[in-house]
Amino acid sequence: MSIIKATDITKTYNATAVPVHALNGINLEIEKGEFTAIVGPSGCGKTTLLNILGGLDHPTTGEVTLAGTNITTMQDGKLIDFRLKNIGFVFQAYNLIPVLTTQENVEFIMLLQKRPKQERDARALELLTQMGIADKAGQRPSQLSGGQQQRVAVARALASKPQFILADEPTANLDSHSTSSLLDIMAKMNKEEGATFVFSTHDQRVIDKARRMITLEDGQIISDEKR
Amino acid sequence: MLLKLSWKNIWRSKLRSLVVIGSIAMGIWAMIFGNAFMNGFIVSYMANTINHDISHIQVHHPDFKRDQEIKFSVSDGNQKAVQIRSWQGVKGAATRTLVTGMVSSPRKASGVQIRGIDIENEAVVTRLDSLIGEGDYFEGISRNPVVIGSKLAENLQVSVKSKVVLTFNDVNGTLTQISCRIAGIIKSSNLSLGESYVFMRQDDLARQLGIEGEIHEIAVLLESQVDPETIVSRFQSEYPGDLVETWQEIAPQLAYLQDIYGNMLYVLMGIILTALVFGIINTMLMAVLERMKELGMLMAVGMTKIRVFLMIMIETIYLGIVGAPVGLLFGWATVSYLNSKGVDLTAYSEGLEAFGYDSILYPYVADEVYLIVTIGVFITAFVGAIYPALKAIRLKPVEALHKI
Ligand SMILES: Nc1ncnc2c1ncn2[C@@H]1O[C@H](COP(=O)(O)OP(=O)(O)OP(=O)(O)O)[C@@H](O)[C@H]1O
Ligand SMILES: [Mg+2]
Repeated sequence: MSIIKATDITKTYNATAVPVHALNGINLEIEKGEFTAIVGPSGCGKTTLLNILGGLDHPTTGEVTLAGTNITTMQDGKLIDFRLKNIGFVFQAYNLIPVLTTQENVEFIMLLQKRPKQERDARALELLTQMGIADKAGQRPSQLSGGQQQRVAVARALASKPQFILADEPTANLDSHSTSSLLDIMAKMNKEEGATFVFSTHDQRVIDKARRMITLEDGQIISDEKR
Repeated sequence: MLLKLSWKNIWRSKLRSLVVIGSIAMGIWAMIFGNAFMNGFIVSYMANTINHDISHIQVHHPDFKRDQEIKFSVSDGNQKAVQIRSWQGVKGAATRTLVTGMVSSPRKASGVQIRGIDIENEAVVTRLDSLIGEGDYFEGISRNPVVIGSKLAENLQVSVKSKVVLTFNDVNGTLTQISCRIAGIIKSSNLSLGESYVFMRQDDLARQLGIEGEIHEIAVLLESQVDPETIVSRFQSEYPGDLVETWQEIAPQLAYLQDIYGNMLYVLMGIILTALVFGIINTMLMAVLERMKELGMLMAVGMTKIRVFLMIMIETIYLGIVGAPVGLLFGWATVSYLNSKGVDLTAYSEGLEAFGYDSILYPYVADEVYLIVTIGVFITAFVGAIYPALKAIRLKPVEALHKI
């Protein structure tokens, strides 16, 4: 059974005088353990699709089923809880809590999930070590480089072992060196922990590392290749 | 976790938090100080009036109040006063013979109440002797010594040892004049003492009135912890037929003052807390709007609305928790200091004394005021936090994340 299943998704924004059809009939299935890139030109609907797959936004029509649960009709309050239990998020920028240390940021989701302290500490240190930033455990995000901050964000998303992780342009703010090391780490976690990643990008080097590439144009899937 | 996160959050913008903490501390300080000052004013005014003028209880002939005629004297007044002095809780009782008349100097004349007093007991009850500013308490003059207030002396343009003439009707209605000399001049902020009374020895006055041994008023001073009502009931049961009143009945305006100063605290609190609540709303709203993206992220990753709401509320309460003790401490310190030293308002006292206030105030606060003020501030912080906290949870994660 696929972990993400989207059926006939459309999304129309009516905020302006002219309605914007951001997504036009998306059908998509993603299996556990996949490492998928969603690519396409600016404005093609990548962010919109990821928001809908993550339950942050509702589709205009169509259904989203995540880990066997149809979230399309779920209330906002329930959705927050569903996201907490099942989905990890990595955002393009600004995604750490500035007043908490690196380790506290990594533990944050587990804290919301009320996991015991011992488990939290062990998991956070394990991840920070794998990310190569264990020495930064006690520092604040502002003391870290952009690449390091994004690794902390990935560690936080992975910490509670969610069903899958959504990342909207995780490397958009990073230089090429940080980009490739972040991608290496994501690929490694995909292999070692079997974590499912879905991320959007228009960076060719990132696209090269993906094992499945879904290309969008004008809100439609124009190609879906596995490698 | 929320407690820790909120605590850290309030120190993100140190200056802003310190401004709010400072306003809370200032507000509390101002409420305590304002209350202490009002107490100082009113209590000193009341104490002054009771201790130097009207006393706690007064006894009269039932008709005397309506019609201050000489014939309405308290029967066996002097013997009753002797009895009362021996009662438990009574500090002193002074008898007075009263007549309305006129005092005149070679230059001016003025309507006054002439009070024939028992000078020893008067000193116990109203401490009249202690108020003498110039001259002596009925000493140094052999014939008809009188004591008058400084304001009256000024009006009449007389000083110690000056001659004044008193004019009044005796018991038969005959117009009588006696010449007296001023033995002492009273210095007091009390209005009546300052200009409305002429004091003379009871025997001197009674003889001229033709009612020797008769008195019109017994003024009774009580120990501070004694309820005047208990003494009033005892008097009524032992000597029915006389009019006996407590200070609240004699001077209802004083009792009224005592009432309103309780309410003044709430008026003052209302004003200060209203200002504070707007300050808090403003600050916390800024704190929320500044962190929209972060709050959006928190809700995106799974922080529930209740937790976000609580986080903002707790942040606000923390500001109160830090600010309140500071304000309480400063308030307490200021009041204690001023209470021990007294606030000398001599520079402004001409205006004040004209209204019967003392020129040195001793501010104080009742203990429960600290509690009331603290509770008031926390309710205010709570109310002020609600709107910003609601604003925070109305954010939609997707929209908030996309705001720069
Ligand atoms: N909140 C919104 N209101 C109205 N139109 C929107 C909104 N969000 C996105 N759009 C429109 O929907 C379309 C798809 O936007 P989306 O952000 O999903 O594109 P994207 O592929 O993520 O682009 P980029 O690569 O620039 O991030 C665009 O035409 C955009 O203008
Ligand atoms: Mg986008």
